[in-house]
Amino acid sequence: MLLHKINSQIAQTFRIFEKSCFHTSSPINEIQKQTRLRVVDNSIIGKQAMAEGKPPKCIHVYNKTGIGKIGDKVLVAIKGEKKKGILVGLKQNQKLKVPKFDSNNLVLIDDNGTPLGTRIHVPIPTILRTILKEKTQAKGADYTKLLGIASKFV
Amino acid sequence: MALIFNTFTRVLEEKMRLLSITSVNCKRNKMYPIPRLRNPTWLTRKERAPIDEQLTSENREFLKEFVQDKITESTERAKTIVTNKIQWTPKMQRTGVIAKKIGVYPLWKKNGDMICTTLLQVMDNHVIRYYPPENYESPRQLRPRVYNKKGCLLLGAEIGDPSTFTKEYCGLFQDSGVLPTKFLARFFVSNDAALPLGTNITAKHFQVGNYVDVRGKTTDRGFQGVMKRHGFKGMPASHGVTKTHRRGGNIGGGGEKGRVWPGTKMPGHMGNRFRVARGLKIWRINTKYNVLYVSGRAIPGETNSIVYVFDTKLPLKKPMKELPFPTYFESENDEIFEEDLFDDEIHIFSSPSITYNEK
Amino acid sequence: MFSLITKSRSVNDWNKISKTLIALSSQAAPIEKSVKTKDTIRKQILEYRHVYPEFLPDPKIEFRNSIREKLERSDMVARRMQIDIPEFYVGSILAVTSSDRHTPGKTQRFVGICIKREKCGLRASFILRNVIDHQGIEIMYNMYDPTLQKVEVLRLEKRLDDELLYLRDALPEYSTFDVNMDTEILPEGTPVPVNNIKVKLKPRPWLERWERKHLKGVQDLGLPERFYERAKELDTPWEKYDLMKEYMRTIPEEEQLEIYGEVQSELHKLELQRKKIRRKRVFVKPTKLA
Repeated sequence: MLLHKINSQIAQTFRIFEKSCFHTSSPINEIQKQTRLRVVDNSIIGKQAMAEGKPPKCIHVYNKTGIGKIGDKVLVAIKGEKKKGILVGLKQNQKLKVPKFDSNNLVLIDDNGTPLGTRIHVPIPTILRTILKEKTQAKGADYTKLLGIASKFV
Repeated sequence: MALIFNTFTRVLEEKMRLLSITSVNCKRNKMYPIPRLRNPTWLTRKERAPIDEQLTSENREFLKEFVQDKITESTERAKTIVTNKIQWTPKMQRTGVIAKKIGVYPLWKKNGDMICTTLLQVMDNHVIRYYPPENYESPRQLRPRVYNKKGCLLLGAEIGDPSTFTKEYCGLFQDSGVLPTKFLARFFVSNDAALPLGTNITAKHFQVGNYVDVRGKTTDRGFQGVMKRHGFKGMPASHGVTKTHRRGGNIGGGGEKGRVWPGTKMPGHMGNRFRVARGLKIWRINTKYNVLYVSGRAIPGETNSIVYVFDTKLPLKKPMKELPFPTYFESENDEIFEEDLFDDEIHIFSSPSITYNEK
Repeated sequence: MFSLITKSRSVNDWNKISKTLIALSSQAAPIEKSVKTKDTIRKQILEYRHVYPEFLPDPKIEFRNSIREKLERSDMVARRMQIDIPEFYVGSILAVTSSDRHTPGKTQRFVGICIKREKCGLRASFILRNVIDHQGIEIMYNMYDPTLQKVEVLRLEKRLDDELLYLRDALPEYSTFDVNMDTEILPEGTPVPVNNIKVKLKPRPWLERWERKHLKGVQDLGLPERFYERAKELDTPWEKYDLMKEYMRTIPEEEQLEIYGEVQSELHKLELQRKKIRRKRVFVKPTKLA
């Protein structure tokens, strides 16, 4: 009888945990390793991953802090493959006049900086024009190609 | 008999000389004697104990009027004081001023950047005293002695009610003809920068675009732990940690060095110390209210606290253009100042919005 | 004696303010010159605290300084002379046009609902929110930023709450607004309408525990009873009766009168200008038939 009671109690507490998934502090929404991202271009692999409900997971951020900021290059695990992408919109609080998005948006690119898709279906911030221009080296990858497939700027 | 007396006195003198403090110091450490701390001469007791003087209200009114008259008289006189202008060279040092930190607010640059500026209101500064280099004795005698000494200028700000100050304190102001002020400050100046007593120094002493140092007393935070005072990390909140969440942890090693080393960072009193913020740019000057807009918001002291502002000592931020030396005098040239002087980079609020042109 | 002097001074100030006010109001409405009592004038001035809340300084006593506040106010008015920053509230729909350094030679226009207004003085800012292409976007603007070219109020209204941050957790249709929306002009003299819309939130998890925030503009949250119980436990209903807290949090009415009395003439001028423009806009030229 007692055992049964304890068991039921434990089950109840577990149910609470499942439901609430509580956090005690307001989230800082940083992009680091293991963060789930949202692909916003129309590349086949990206579309499939989002449709399946298995959004890509960040496995590396190519900067010195390890925390992805707007315009940073990241390595993601998507459908069992490793792909590179550029962060084009963040949930985190931004500077004045820089838009803050409701999701962490990603555009997939290859090693030369060419986007895998042909269109980005959400607005992207104009600050990316300057950031991507700065990041593009003379002989390295040309990230500014991404700006060409954007549909809208905010 | 006389000879015996003479020898006796000589021996006594010798003994006395040995006993006196200075000689002991000299003997113990001839090269580096312990510096003797003496307060500067102007550091007398300021406030007087309030006495109920049993005055009638009429008499009190009369006294107030009298003081007011004196104040206007002295300020009028201060305006007339002028010295001849001297050509400024980079090695010369001007006086600083006493100012009040009155708050922080943003300005925008012409390229659209926002910068935070601290507002320092230059109070009604008056020259109280001047000590020429040969007369000024430093309160702390340091070795090796500093030759090529500078003169010392004593400034006062914010004229107060003379009846609240002590006699000695009021005595400081006798030569200058200025009424006793609430705040005093001393600034070392080169020989040519000596100002006549009673001179009034305003915000026009400084120029837009130049750099200044600001010395102030930091906010008193009382006895603080190691996390707030030195920015330690503390210890974990859980994982079996008990009673040591905000403690510093280890403070020293064992063995031969088994003691707490001097300078170890530990809890203690935080703030209420003089600190200098160096190399702050003047972005804007308001000549009506005598306000300097100085870059940065981390200037020591709370809002409404007293700070001392002087030309920067950083070698790379010395002014390029000529400065008004020894200070700016109203009558020397009748150049009409606008109320607000802006740096070239600053966007003026009454000019149209910023647009970016295509290159 | 001293107190008497100050009292008489404040009375003098008050007289001056009321005189200027009477003069100004008489310009607007010459009929009721004598009828206007002190009380109505007072109310008129105090109305400004809703329209221009950023003119009131931070009530924290450590940060106050009268000269700083005066300088700040004069700068704010100088900026307002250059750009028309109209009356708006949390819940109003704004369109902000700003010059963008990343696209030289062009301007950016963003339309959205104001979900928050904060800070005071030159640092005053507001957040706009909109959903564009099914993507929620928020932008924060400084009200006195000189790169702003134009601030338009497309729909002037209030909501039931002081902050609409819960729109982040609401269904997207509640924060979706047409980018090419036209300005809705209210007839002159009407009070600012209050939108009684009740927003439906998405299911949990949320960004904040909304059940603890005393929200009025939200539909039933549909949470288990224990959430409300906990919210009740943590609630501090006595705080609204705490006079000391109220005193520390607000700026006294006399000071507000002084502050708004100082900038009143300029603000009034700007308002008249705005009214003229609005009248022009209301009057539409009849188009030719056939």
